[in-house]
Amino acid sequence: MTSIVQNFRNLALSIKQNGGLYRSILQLYRVDEIKEGEYIGTDRNGNRYYQNKRFFVGRSRWVIYNEKYGLDYDGTHVDPEWHGWLHYVRDDPPTVKPPITYKWVTPNPQENKTGTPDNYVPYSTVKPKIEAWVPKSNKK
Amino acid sequence: MSKSIQLALLGRKAAKNLLKSSISNQLNSTLPVNGVLSQQKRWKSFYGEPAEFKTTEEQIILANDETASKWKQMPANFFGDEKINSSAGQNVILNFGPQHPAAHGVLRLVLELDGELVRRADPHIGLLHRGTEKLIEYKTYTQALPYFDRLDYVSMMTNEQVYSMAVENLLRIEVPERAKFIRTMFAEITRLLNHLMAIGSHTLDMGALTPYFYLFEEREKMMEFYERVSGARMHAAYVRPGGVAFDLPIGLMDDIYHFIKHFGQRLDEVDDMLTANRIWRARTIGIGTVTAEDALNLGFSGVMLRGSGIKWDLRKSQPYDAYDKVEFDVPVGTNGDTYDRYLVRMEEMRQSLRIIEQCLNKMPTGEVRTDDYKVVPPRRAEMKESMEALIHHFKLFTEGYQVPPGCTYTAIEAPKGEMGVYLVSDGTSRPYRCYIRAPGFPHLAAMDKVSKNHMIADIVAIIGTMDIVFGEIDR
Amino acid sequence: MNLNKLFALKKAAPISRSILFSNNISTSAVSRDYKYVGVREEDLYSGFTNKAVNKILMGELMKGMMTTLGKFFTEPVTINYPFEKGPLSPRFRGEHALRRYPNGEERCIACKLCEAVCPAQAITIEAEERADGSRRTTRYDIDMTKCIYCGFCQEACPVDAIVEGPNFEYSTETHEELLYNKEKLLSNGDRWEPAIAANLKADNRYR
Repeated sequence: MTSIVQNFRNLALSIKQNGGLYRSILQLYRVDEIKEGEYIGTDRNGNRYYQNKRFFVGRSRWVIYNEKYGLDYDGTHVDPEWHGWLHYVRDDPPTVKPPITYKWVTPNPQENKTGTPDNYVPYSTVKPKIEAWVPKSNKK
Repeated sequence: MSKSIQLALLGRKAAKNLLKSSISNQLNSTLPVNGVLSQQKRWKSFYGEPAEFKTTEEQIILANDETASKWKQMPANFFGDEKINSSAGQNVILNFGPQHPAAHGVLRLVLELDGELVRRADPHIGLLHRGTEKLIEYKTYTQALPYFDRLDYVSMMTNEQVYSMAVENLLRIEVPERAKFIRTMFAEITRLLNHLMAIGSHTLDMGALTPYFYLFEEREKMMEFYERVSGARMHAAYVRPGGVAFDLPIGLMDDIYHFIKHFGQRLDEVDDMLTANRIWRARTIGIGTVTAEDALNLGFSGVMLRGSGIKWDLRKSQPYDAYDKVEFDVPVGTNGDTYDRYLVRMEEMRQSLRIIEQCLNKMPTGEVRTDDYKVVPPRRAEMKESMEALIHHFKLFTEGYQVPPGCTYTAIEAPKGEMGVYLVSDGTSRPYRCYIRAPGFPHLAAMDKVSKNHMIADIVAIIGTMDIVFGEIDR
Repeated sequence: MNLNKLFALKKAAPISRSILFSNNISTSAVSRDYKYVGVREEDLYSGFTNKAVNKILMGELMKGMMTTLGKFFTEPVTINYPFEKGPLSPRFRGEHALRRYPNGEERCIACKLCEAVCPAQAITIEAEERADGSRRTTRYDIDMTKCIYCGFCQEACPVDAIVEGPNFEYSTETHEELLYNKEKLLSNGDRWEPAIAANLKADNRYR
């Protein structure tokens, strides 16, 4: 019996955390579920990370993608700095334990660009070994 | 007698010849569309006159009423099998697979059916042939290792284990105690993985969907153990000649303990759903029965052999790694049918839990690789400081290590049966020959023998109980 | 063990009582640790009445149904993927990346150990002396469709330049997008360096 009461309490809590009934329904449409949890932080892409240890490992940490992605959210929108925490590789989120960073580290994490005009196209990084002969053109 | 009936009476081969021949062009114009129908109607009157089946080119050309009346019906044993006394006339040849979901990969079975009875099952293989054995001859001993993961791709680490043990036998090196226990533990986890897959997909093929999901949930957890220890969920490349690649990470043994503590309950659930279930029993008892004599003669091993009541387990008869230091029982079936093999698998999983628990308790401390830097690359920290270690590192990762000339047949009790590697070395850093004895191959080869005179629906059960994985059969 | 002996062992099998006594009556050391399963003379429900009741009330089927019904009330085990992700370890072998030293200099010195050890021959390296006299690669191509993700390249690398990073979300729509060249690998390294460095540090003591 207590568990049923607890379930309703959790539901009420998650609706409250998601900012009211309307926003919760929006969230349900976008994320397929509403969960209550502790807010951990926001990454450079504006994705918000939450944790609730009530759930088992695999469900206890989650990300709510930035609103700007709409329904085109993708797994690669997760910031590499947060990747380890979200995948349970380490327990300390980057807000607690700042990751190593250098000035050459890509500041803006990129999504998987496949299928878009800016996808990666392989090219050779060496000079061609053979120089093609260009015939002299007859100048008129 | 009209020409269409004459044509129909010719039988398959003659009709084919006829259609090929130039005269067929003339005949085609007179051939009615319902020629096949008339064949079926008139077939019986000609049935039961066994004679030599012989058609010459001459006879085809002279296809008139006089010669046609002398022609005999195509014999029933046209396909070389024993005579099948059937009123239906010709048996139906059915292709099962290679894209049948119950074919466990790319098995193509050509079934000769008499009604619903299978008179002949002819497995065709080779659709997943990758030439692993030949490829290995051109790889160093280190490089050959990942190929073994991909042989039997549901029991990865046991494949690596048998290869590593073969190389160790040739090198005459002993692996440290801790490595032996880790290998044993992961071999048993692999056995769980394999048997879960075997039982899960077996039940799925026979229409019971639920156990499949429960069992695959457990497989997921074990694949996480694989991932934590080696970095890959399936193709681990973890067991290496001379030990294992890395030591167990901290906390893994605790998690494995928690897993095996609860795993017995999951097996009980499956037990509740299947073991007494009348549908499951009806589908398995008496299906695919193999007598002990047949099992030996057909070269069976593993569960297929033990299900027939033969007490044979390489873990007991010639213990390798740490199997002589752990206690376990080997389940043996009594009736040799599919149901017994299912029970043997279930019991083997419970025994695996025992072995894993003992391995966890007895896990010794120490190194996980031999300290022979001529075989095993030095640790990274040492490689970065010591020049000698760096030279060893370079030698091992370019040329590999030389294995003294000789040959070995090393076999282990893989989940599916006896997995063996016959390795011939000529003293260079590449194997001269590597023959892989896959347990599934003799099992599949006995398909005809085991499945003869079963119903066609039982073929699926027999494939499932043989635990066929095409990675190892085609190699 | 010859075949006669094996057959002799088989003959003992159909005796159902042997499940109780097999440990005592067998004398050979080999057969001590074997136990019989599948001894069934309708052993599950003994007696006519029990059998009939079970047959009519579908006892064992109901038992199985109750097991599945119990699952209905437990927490689901599926995860909601792009929002929740499965656990990984620091050893995870995913997408390749070429790393740099902290000052921005690329680590790879073109020793070609990875190229030599790669079982699938997925790596192609060409090297030249750079303008400042140091040896660096000009071509470092990995055919990700050939790669079997065995991790030998990162084990071989003496300077920790090529690593298999933690990323596995790099699926593409075309084959050619998976033919990585040096620039792509370096940019992977630049992007994933925080995660890679943390993973290498976490797993350092085991390697």
